[in-house]
Amino acid sequence: MRIVCPFCGERELGEFTYLGDAKPARPAADAGEDAVFDYVYLRDNVAGAMSEHWYHGGGCRAWLKVTRNTLTHEISAVEPAAGVGAAKVGA
Amino acid sequence: MAEFSWEVRSPLERALVAGPYGVRGDAGVSLTEIRSFDLIQVMARRGKAADMAEAARARFGVAAPDAPKAVGTPDATLIWSGPDQFFVLSKAGKHSIEAVGSAFAGSASLSDQSHARVLTSVSGTKARAMLAKLTSIDLHQGAFPIGAAAATSMDHTSVTLWRGDDRDGQAVFNLLVFATFAESLWHTMLDAAAEYGVNIGHSDEL
Repeated sequence: MRIVCPFCGERELGEFTYLGDAKPARPAADAGEDAVFDYVYLRDNVAGAMSEHWYHGGGCRAWLKVTRNTLTHEISAVEPAAGVGAAKVGA
Repeated sequence: MAEFSWEVRSPLERALVAGPYGVRGDAGVSLTEIRSFDLIQVMARRGKAADMAEAARARFGVAAPDAPKAVGTPDATLIWSGPDQFFVLSKAGKHSIEAVGSAFAGSASLSDQSHARVLTSVSGTKARAMLAKLTSIDLHQGAFPIGAAAATSMDHTSVTLWRGDDRDGQAVFNLLVFATFAESLWHTMLDAAAEYGVNIGHSDEL
Protein backbone atom coordinates (compact mmCIF):
# COMPACT_ATOMS: atom_id res chain seq x y z
CA MET A 1 0.00 0.00 0.00
CA ARG A 2 1.21 3.50 -0.81
CA ILE A 3 -0.01 6.88 0.38
CA VAL A 4 0.39 10.08 -1.61
CA CYS A 5 1.52 12.60 1.00
CA PRO A 6 0.31 16.09 -0.02
CA PHE A 7 3.76 17.43 0.92
CA CYS A 8 6.16 14.66 -0.13
CA GLY A 9 4.41 12.74 -2.90
CA GLU A 10 3.88 9.00 -3.16
CA ARG A 11 5.51 7.04 -0.33
CA GLU A 12 5.52 3.50 0.95
CA LEU A 13 3.34 2.47 3.87
CA GLY A 14 6.36 1.95 6.15
CA GLU A 15 6.88 5.69 6.46
CA PHE A 16 3.41 6.17 7.96
CA THR A 17 1.79 5.35 11.29
CA TYR A 18 -1.94 4.74 11.67
CA LEU A 19 -3.82 6.55 14.41
CA GLY A 20 -7.46 5.75 13.68
CA ASP A 21 -10.82 7.33 12.99
CA ALA A 22 -10.57 11.02 12.16
CA LYS A 23 -14.27 11.64 12.81
CA PRO A 24 -14.51 11.90 16.63
CA ALA A 25 -14.46 15.54 17.71
CA ARG A 26 -13.72 16.61 21.26
CA PRO A 27 -17.03 17.50 22.92
CA ALA A 28 -17.63 20.85 24.58
CA ALA A 29 -16.60 21.09 28.23
CA ASP A 30 -20.25 21.04 29.37
CA ALA A 31 -21.36 18.29 26.94
CA GLY A 32 -21.90 15.70 29.66
CA GLU A 33 -20.53 12.27 30.50
CA ASP A 34 -22.20 10.37 27.64
CA ALA A 35 -20.67 12.61 25.00
CA VAL A 36 -17.19 12.26 26.55
CA PHE A 37 -17.60 8.48 26.87
CA ASP A 38 -18.59 8.32 23.21
CA TYR A 39 -15.62 10.48 22.19
CA VAL A 40 -13.07 8.50 24.19
CA TYR A 41 -14.29 4.91 23.79
CA LEU A 42 -16.89 4.36 21.11
CA ARG A 43 -15.75 3.78 17.53
CA ASP A 44 -17.65 2.88 14.39
CA ASN A 45 -16.53 -0.30 12.67
CA VAL A 46 -16.76 1.09 9.17
CA ALA A 47 -17.08 -1.20 6.15
CA GLY A 48 -16.37 1.16 3.26
CA ALA A 49 -14.96 4.66 2.96
CA MET A 50 -13.49 5.85 6.24
CA SER A 51 -11.74 9.05 7.27
CA GLU A 52 -8.54 8.26 9.18
CA HIS A 53 -5.58 10.02 10.72
CA TRP A 54 -2.13 8.91 9.56
CA TYR A 55 1.25 10.30 10.63
CA HIS A 56 4.07 10.68 8.14
CA GLY A 57 6.75 10.16 10.78
CA GLY A 58 9.24 8.61 8.36
CA GLY A 59 9.03 11.66 6.13
CA CYS A 60 7.82 15.22 6.64
CA ARG A 61 6.32 14.48 10.09
CA ALA A 62 2.92 15.92 9.13
CA TRP A 63 -0.42 14.54 10.29
CA LEU A 64 -2.67 13.58 7.41
CA LYS A 65 -6.37 12.89 6.96
CA VAL A 66 -6.74 9.89 4.66
CA THR A 67 -10.01 8.66 3.17
CA ARG A 68 -9.57 4.91 2.79
CA ASN A 69 -12.00 2.18 1.82
CA THR A 70 -11.64 -0.44 4.55
CA LEU A 71 -12.91 -3.17 2.21
CA THR A 72 -10.56 -2.55 -0.71
CA HIS A 73 -7.80 -0.37 0.84
CA GLU A 74 -8.43 2.09 -1.98
CA ILE A 75 -7.39 5.59 -0.92
CA SER A 76 -9.58 8.28 -2.45
CA ALA A 77 -8.24 11.40 -0.73
CA VAL A 78 -5.29 12.56 1.37
CA GLU A 79 -5.16 16.01 2.91
CA PRO A 80 -3.22 17.70 5.70
CA ALA A 81 -4.94 17.25 9.06
CA ALA A 82 -6.20 20.32 10.84
CA GLY A 83 -3.57 21.80 13.12
CA VAL A 84 -0.42 20.47 11.47
CA GLY A 85 0.70 24.07 11.45
CA ALA A 86 1.28 24.22 7.73
CA ALA A 87 0.20 27.13 5.61
CA LYS A 88 -1.60 24.73 3.26
CA VAL A 89 -4.09 23.65 5.92
CA GLY A 90 -7.53 25.07 5.42
CA ALA A 91 -6.43 26.67 2.18
CA MET B 1 36.02 22.60 40.05
CA ALA B 2 37.48 20.55 37.23
CA GLU B 3 38.45 22.28 34.05
CA PHE B 4 35.96 21.40 31.35
CA SER B 5 36.24 21.79 27.63
CA TRP B 6 34.43 20.41 24.60
CA GLU B 7 36.28 18.51 21.97
CA VAL B 8 34.30 18.29 18.74
CA ARG B 9 34.31 14.77 17.31
CA SER B 10 32.45 13.21 14.47
CA PRO B 11 29.83 10.62 15.48
CA LEU B 12 31.41 8.46 12.77
CA GLU B 13 34.91 8.78 14.18
CA ARG B 14 35.05 5.12 15.23
CA ALA B 15 33.06 3.66 12.33
CA LEU B 16 34.63 5.51 9.44
CA VAL B 17 37.89 4.01 8.19
CA ALA B 18 39.22 5.99 5.26
CA GLY B 19 40.34 4.00 2.25
CA PRO B 20 38.95 1.18 0.12
CA TYR B 21 36.22 -1.18 1.30
CA GLY B 22 34.50 -4.21 -0.21
CA VAL B 23 35.24 -5.48 -3.69
CA ARG B 24 38.67 -4.44 -4.96
CA GLY B 25 39.27 -2.55 -8.16
CA ASP B 26 37.63 0.66 -9.32
CA ALA B 27 35.28 1.80 -6.59
CA GLY B 28 31.68 2.08 -7.76
CA VAL B 29 30.62 4.11 -4.74
CA SER B 30 32.30 6.98 -2.94
CA LEU B 31 31.19 7.74 0.61
CA THR B 32 32.46 11.01 2.02
CA GLU B 33 31.55 12.36 5.41
CA ILE B 34 31.53 16.16 5.60
CA ARG B 35 32.71 17.03 9.09
CA SER B 36 32.47 20.77 9.30
CA PHE B 37 29.31 22.70 8.55
CA ASP B 38 26.60 24.90 10.04
CA LEU B 39 23.08 23.51 9.90
CA ILE B 40 20.11 25.54 11.10
CA GLN B 41 16.55 24.25 11.21
CA VAL B 42 14.06 27.03 10.43
CA MET B 43 10.37 26.41 11.18
CA ALA B 44 7.65 28.97 10.54
CA ARG B 45 5.62 30.05 13.52
CA ARG B 46 1.88 29.53 13.27
CA GLY B 47 0.46 31.67 10.50
CA LYS B 48 3.87 33.21 9.75
CA ALA B 49 4.91 31.11 6.76
CA ALA B 50 4.67 34.06 4.38
CA ASP B 51 6.77 36.23 6.72
CA MET B 52 9.35 33.46 6.96
CA ALA B 53 9.51 33.17 3.17
CA GLU B 54 10.03 36.92 2.89
CA ALA B 55 12.76 36.87 5.54
CA ALA B 56 14.49 34.01 3.72
CA ARG B 57 14.45 35.95 0.48
CA ALA B 58 15.87 39.03 2.20
CA ARG B 59 18.64 37.04 3.86
CA PHE B 60 19.59 34.59 1.11
CA GLY B 61 18.31 36.23 -2.05
CA VAL B 62 16.25 33.22 -3.06
CA ALA B 63 12.84 31.88 -2.17
CA ALA B 64 12.91 29.26 0.58
CA PRO B 65 11.86 25.87 -0.79
CA ASP B 66 8.10 25.27 -0.31
CA ALA B 67 8.28 21.81 -1.88
CA PRO B 68 10.81 18.96 -1.54
CA LYS B 69 13.75 20.75 -3.13
CA ALA B 70 17.21 22.03 -2.26
CA VAL B 71 17.93 25.58 -3.36
CA GLY B 72 21.53 26.67 -3.75
CA THR B 73 22.81 30.18 -3.06
CA PRO B 74 26.44 31.29 -3.42
CA ASP B 75 27.22 30.46 0.21
CA ALA B 76 24.37 28.28 1.53
CA THR B 77 21.93 25.56 0.58
CA LEU B 78 18.29 25.75 1.69
CA ILE B 79 16.85 22.27 2.00
CA TRP B 80 13.16 21.56 2.43
CA SER B 81 12.51 19.42 5.52
CA GLY B 82 8.72 19.51 5.84
CA PRO B 83 5.76 21.85 5.41
CA ASP B 84 6.82 25.42 6.25
CA GLN B 85 10.28 24.39 7.39
CA PHE B 86 13.73 24.05 5.90
CA PHE B 87 17.41 23.68 6.74
CA VAL B 88 20.12 26.23 6.12
CA LEU B 89 23.35 24.39 5.35
CA SER B 90 26.56 26.37 5.02
CA LYS B 91 30.27 26.28 5.68
CA ALA B 92 31.03 26.48 9.39
CA GLY B 93 30.79 30.06 10.61
CA LYS B 94 29.07 31.33 7.46
CA HIS B 95 25.44 31.25 8.53
CA SER B 96 25.59 30.46 12.22
CA ILE B 97 22.43 30.51 14.32
CA GLU B 98 23.48 33.87 15.77
CA ALA B 99 23.80 35.32 12.28
CA VAL B 100 20.58 33.83 10.92
CA GLY B 101 18.51 34.26 14.07
CA SER B 102 17.93 37.99 13.77
CA ALA B 103 16.79 37.62 10.15
CA PHE B 104 13.91 35.38 11.21
CA ALA B 105 12.98 37.16 14.44
CA GLY B 106 9.22 36.92 14.86
CA SER B 107 8.55 34.74 11.80
CA ALA B 108 10.28 31.44 12.53
CA SER B 109 11.77 29.35 15.30
CA LEU B 110 15.34 28.24 14.79
CA SER B 111 17.27 25.29 16.11
CA ASP B 112 21.00 24.72 15.68
CA GLN B 113 21.53 21.22 14.25
CA SER B 114 25.21 21.65 13.29
CA HIS B 115 26.39 18.95 15.69
CA ALA B 116 23.14 16.97 15.73
CA ARG B 117 23.39 15.53 12.22
CA VAL B 118 25.92 13.70 10.16
CA LEU B 119 26.32 14.76 6.55
CA THR B 120 27.42 12.18 4.02
CA SER B 121 27.94 12.60 0.32
CA VAL B 122 27.28 9.53 -1.86
CA SER B 123 28.56 9.46 -5.42
CA GLY B 124 30.05 7.13 -8.01
CA THR B 125 28.79 5.06 -10.92
CA LYS B 126 26.95 2.68 -8.58
CA ALA B 127 25.60 5.29 -6.14
CA ARG B 128 22.02 4.87 -7.42
CA ALA B 129 22.21 1.07 -7.38
CA MET B 130 23.43 1.16 -3.79
CA LEU B 131 20.86 3.72 -2.62
CA ALA B 132 18.09 1.77 -4.36
CA LYS B 133 18.61 -0.97 -1.77
CA LEU B 134 17.97 1.48 1.06
CA THR B 135 15.25 3.83 -0.15
CA SER B 136 11.94 3.47 -1.95
CA ILE B 137 12.40 6.88 -3.58
CA ASP B 138 12.89 6.83 -7.34
CA LEU B 139 16.35 8.32 -7.87
CA HIS B 140 16.30 8.08 -11.66
CA GLN B 141 17.63 11.15 -13.45
CA GLY B 142 14.14 12.04 -14.67
CA ALA B 143 12.43 11.57 -11.31
CA PHE B 144 15.09 13.01 -9.00
CA PRO B 145 16.98 15.76 -10.85
CA ILE B 146 19.63 18.08 -9.41
CA GLY B 147 18.02 20.07 -6.60
CA ALA B 148 15.42 17.41 -5.77
CA ALA B 149 15.07 16.64 -2.06
CA ALA B 150 13.16 14.22 0.13
CA ALA B 151 12.42 13.76 3.80
CA THR B 152 12.26 10.00 3.95
CA SER B 153 13.46 6.88 5.76
CA MET B 154 16.37 4.57 5.14
CA ASP B 155 16.71 1.40 7.16
CA HIS B 156 13.91 2.72 9.43
CA THR B 157 15.94 5.86 10.09
CA SER B 158 14.71 9.33 9.19
CA VAL B 159 16.98 11.03 6.69
CA THR B 160 17.03 14.15 4.56
CA LEU B 161 18.23 13.29 1.09
CA TRP B 162 18.92 15.69 -1.74
CA ARG B 163 20.79 15.73 -5.00
CA GLY B 164 23.63 18.22 -5.26
CA ASP B 165 25.46 19.41 -8.34
CA ASP B 166 27.10 16.69 -10.41
CA ARG B 167 30.80 16.07 -9.80
CA ASP B 168 32.94 14.74 -12.67
CA GLY B 169 29.78 13.95 -14.60
CA GLN B 170 28.44 11.81 -11.76
CA ALA B 171 25.34 12.39 -9.65
CA VAL B 172 26.00 13.36 -6.03
CA PHE B 173 23.49 12.49 -3.32
CA ASN B 174 23.72 14.18 0.05
CA LEU B 175 22.38 12.59 3.17
CA LEU B 176 21.64 14.13 6.57
CA VAL B 177 20.95 11.72 9.41
CA PHE B 178 20.59 12.13 13.17
CA ALA B 179 24.01 11.87 14.80
CA THR B 180 23.05 9.00 17.09
CA PHE B 181 21.72 6.94 14.17
CA ALA B 182 24.64 7.75 11.89
CA GLU B 183 26.87 4.83 12.85
CA SER B 184 24.06 2.33 12.32
CA LEU B 185 23.16 3.75 8.92
CA TRP B 186 26.83 3.97 8.00
CA HIS B 187 27.27 0.22 8.47
CA THR B 188 24.08 -0.41 6.50
CA MET B 189 25.41 1.74 3.66
CA LEU B 190 28.75 -0.08 3.69
CA ASP B 191 26.94 -3.42 3.48
CA ALA B 192 24.86 -2.14 0.56
CA ALA B 193 27.89 -0.73 -1.24
CA ALA B 194 30.46 -3.48 -0.61
CA GLU B 195 29.67 -5.41 -3.78
CA TYR B 196 30.46 -2.36 -5.92
CA GLY B 197 33.69 -1.44 -4.16
CA VAL B 198 33.75 1.62 -1.92
CA ASN B 199 36.08 4.55 -1.57
CA ILE B 200 35.66 5.95 1.95
CA GLY B 201 36.81 9.36 3.02
CA HIS B 202 36.01 12.42 5.03
CA SER B 203 36.40 16.09 4.40
CA ASP B 204 36.15 19.34 6.30
CA GLU B 205 35.06 21.14 3.16
CA LEU B 206 31.39 21.43 2.38
